Amino acid sequence: MKIYLLDDLQHLQAHLAQDYQFHQVVTNNNGQYHWQQLASDETQPLVHDKPQSSAKGFFFAEQESLLVFNGEYFQETLPTPKPFVLFGVQSCDLTAIHYQDKFFKDDRYYQARRQQCLLVGLDCINPCEHGFCPTVNAGPGVREEHADIVLHPLGHKWLVIEQTSKAAEALQALALIETHWHYLTQRDLTLHQCEQKFPDDKYITDGIKKLNSGTITDEFWQTLAIQCRGCSGCTTLCPTCSCYGTRAIKQDNNAFSQQRFWDSCLYEGFQREASFNNPSAEAGTRVERFWQHKFADEFFTEFSRHSCVGCGRCEQTCPGVIGVHSVMKRITKEGGQENGPEVTHA
Amino acid sequence: MANKLINAICPFCGVGCGIALSVDEKGKLIGVEPQPSHPISQGKLCDKGWSTAYAITDKNRLTQPLKRINHQFFPISWQEALVSIAEELTQIIEYSGANSVGVISSARATNEDNYAAQKFARAVLKTNNIDHCARICHSPTVAGLKQSLGSGAMTNSAKDIFDTDLIMVFGADPTENHSILGGHIMQAHLNGCKLIVIDPRKIRLAKLAPLHLQLKLGSNIALINAMLHVIIKEKWYDKDFIDQRCEGFEHLAKHVENITPISVEAITGLKATDIYQAAKQYSQAKRAMIFYGMGITQYMSGTNNVISLANLALICGHIGKPGTGVNPLRGQNNVQGACDMGCLPNVYPGYQNVDDEKAHEKFSNAWHTELAKAPGLTSLGMTKGALSGEFRALILFGEDPVVTDPDQNHVKSSLKNLDLLVVAELTLTETAKLADFVLPAASFAEKEGTFTNCERRVQKLNQVIAPVGQAKGDWQWLQALAKQMGSEQLNWSNSQDVFNEMTSLTPPYQAMNYQKLEDNYGLQWPCTDDSPKGTAILHSTSFPIGKARLIAVNHSDIDEMPDENFPLQLTTNRLHFHYGCGSMTRNSPLLEREIPPGILFINPIDANKLNISHQDAVSVKSRRGYLETRAIVTNDVPVGLVSMPYHFKEAPSNQLTNTAQDPITKMPELKACAVMVAALAKGQIPKTIEQLQQEPKHENLFT
Repeated sequence: MKIYLLDDLQHLQAHLAQDYQFHQVVTNNNGQYHWQQLASDETQPLVHDKPQSSAKGFFFAEQESLLVFNGEYFQETLPTPKPFVLFGVQSCDLTAIHYQDKFFKDDRYYQARRQQCLLVGLDCINPCEHGFCPTVNAGPGVREEHADIVLHPLGHKWLVIEQTSKAAEALQALALIETHWHYLTQRDLTLHQCEQKFPDDKYITDGIKKLNSGTITDEFWQTLAIQCRGCSGCTTLCPTCSCYGTRAIKQDNNAFSQQRFWDSCLYEGFQREASFNNPSAEAGTRVERFWQHKFADEFFTEFSRHSCVGCGRCEQTCPGVIGVHSVMKRITKEGGQENGPEVTHA
Repeated sequence: MANKLINAICPFCGVGCGIALSVDEKGKLIGVEPQPSHPISQGKLCDKGWSTAYAITDKNRLTQPLKRINHQFFPISWQEALVSIAEELTQIIEYSGANSVGVISSARATNEDNYAAQKFARAVLKTNNIDHCARICHSPTVAGLKQSLGSGAMTNSAKDIFDTDLIMVFGADPTENHSILGGHIMQAHLNGCKLIVIDPRKIRLAKLAPLHLQLKLGSNIALINAMLHVIIKEKWYDKDFIDQRCEGFEHLAKHVENITPISVEAITGLKATDIYQAAKQYSQAKRAMIFYGMGITQYMSGTNNVISLANLALICGHIGKPGTGVNPLRGQNNVQGACDMGCLPNVYPGYQNVDDEKAHEKFSNAWHTELAKAPGLTSLGMTKGALSGEFRALILFGEDPVVTDPDQNHVKSSLKNLDLLVVAELTLTETAKLADFVLPAASFAEKEGTFTNCERRVQKLNQVIAPVGQAKGDWQWLQALAKQMGSEQLNWSNSQDVFNEMTSLTPPYQAMNYQKLEDNYGLQWPCTDDSPKGTAILHSTSFPIGKARLIAVNHSDIDEMPDENFPLQLTTNRLHFHYGCGSMTRNSPLLEREIPPGILFINPIDANKLNISHQDAVSVKSRRGYLETRAIVTNDVPVGLVSMPYHFKEAPSNQLTNTAQDPITKMPELKACAVMVAALAKGQIPKTIEQLQQEPKHENLFT
């Protein structure tokens, strides 16, 4: 690991934009934050706001062709992206990428894109709306191994932390001057202060405990699921949701292409079999399954963490008022009361 | 990943959510996001909204004009299409007069498109034969509220949902049809707002509401009259409001004097105590809002149903203030706008009557041409006229009446009888298949313009991508056709020009312009020099007709009651996964997977009697048609009632529905008819309507 001090971030942006396709979070005229590719001669100030859509689509495409069949033989359609940089990815989304790296370890389409990417992380020094990353060990500071380069704001300067050999290669020509390690202590202090600024969310830790205690009743999930319309908003915006479906699209003259697209486990049809048998026919079962996938200990073992990264996007986008905060509050208040004393910290 | 994110307005229902479309470097639409700061949707979308990219990037999109020769379509150039259409139209008008031709415009197209369509009908074709699908959704709202209040639109705003003490949802299923507003209602209820649901089906909100009045089909007026009776008898009405703002109270009070809750128990199927409770809660709430939908309007008594609701709100003084009002939930993204634009046979833009001498003169002068004086034909009038041969040529865009209008077989044979049918569409819909000429239309993402949502908010729509192939926006091809017919009436250079001409003639839109719409997330009409920032709440100091009218109305039975041969009642509903005829939503592999092509909801007791299990293939027959579909066995419908969504061309509920009409608005009674349901052999796959129609044994049913 090497650490540098940088006065002018533009310097780094311009440098990377020469060697990589350069993507950064920008804002449109309505104050909406989103990832956008910038031209190599265009730099924009780094924004600290959470983009509504995470970076998962860079690797796990919303719609992509997997193969084509021309009537005689199959041909894989692996993507061949040029090297690209994601500049300023926040810790929650980096944690999610790290999680998906494991999930898609053997997925050649995902990996073809992932290998080409240089991740430049950005420490958050203020909590965001609905965010609770410290509670689920996903922020606000960028975790080791989650990014090639980490940026940490120091007033008018930037701390640049080079974490990987890929980063060393990318920064080499820039001839940055290494700086003192005490800046890392200062970083830790700032991140610690930021953690203190998050609102009390004991209902989330309590909710996770309760979810894993096996005491939540089916009735609770069924009542909650009346509010779920399977809109797919939560699964679309969730940076770790990775369900997909596939379909064959007929082309002219008997050829077809096999397409994969983002799916959602909250759709009734997601697990329905051709015989109409469905292990999760009830909305309650689907909603329960979704939250189990986010917080159940059985998945913790496999991925060494819960899949929820605390970004809070589901809370913002759920039209049925059952995003993570709403659900966890209700779990602690109502879920499975008869099996134990009610927890009332919400 | 996205290269650009461009704001747009969701093209589905009348809520008007803010969406942002992401486009890749090749200009291809790849995804959609909500707009987090949008005043209505606040960063949320429903499943339809999330699937927008699929909706319009269909590989079956029409890319060039088509001409039908016998049973086959052949691609032709725009020039060839325009020349042929113009020639035929001119000839038909010459031989049979301007009243033999007409236009059906689209509640899914922009205000600019709709303004152009009615101007094309009136100033180029010289007829008031212009209509659109509001006929079969909210024409009773326009007629009923106009009589009672003087204006036929939602009186309040979406934001009032969070600013009220009680919400009464009456004959509407907002979580499915207006999902985002439905979500707001759920949220308000979770926050403590009271919720009353009145619906024959156990809709999603009914499962959350402490009070659900599960009334019998078509008994709305009986119920409301009984509620009025209770409120008047218990003196829970707002005397000051009635004295100052209403007329006709004594007559109304006398009318409902003997309509006690007990007296309507049999008609409504409700307990008198529940009726009393609903009356008490609604009238006693400090602020109370009514939301209603097709469960009020799609009856022969549609207009009177609307009038009843207005009576209820008026005597309680629940109107003209925040968190109150009579609020129709409009079905399509721009059905409010299409009405506002005068795509109705009896009114010019801004609801100025065509038979009013002053209005006639105003528009004749503005357009420098003599206009027809007599009101024109409604869409059902046009199909009827087509059958008898008096009506000969129809130009139609963005609608699929073959799937969405009542009595499908009747619609099909009348459209086939036309000498000229021109359809502009995104894809080859069931209606387009009958056309002589099919024109490729640009989708909402491919054009600029405005949509007006159900709370009267006029919102700016930006062009996001280039039109596919040779597709054109509706006002653009109408302009080209007018030119071909030798008329300069539609010679605008861009959509802003169209908008500006429209605002100059449409008083409620008077003070609007594109820039102001962009700057304010849209503006709610009336937006005039007196109210330049628009109007969130109508009727706050007075009604357009001075005092509101309390009008006494009577319960009337539905047209077709169940009997021995057709023992079950059929009603229609919508699914949140789909929209209209499904031509957009069914392109999503996800939404399409959710529901098999066509379903029938049936109560377990009825299903058991008929030996029908969940997902079994069943046949449904009415006096007008026959279809096959799959059964969904559910307690959401009561015993004796079955329900079908109308989105599926394979099993169109409109094979079965009744054409009996509201005498005032010609609204067909889509919400109630009698049917017979039977199980098909186990393992049999339901046949689509197309397959059935090719079978000789059913031939007699389809001729």
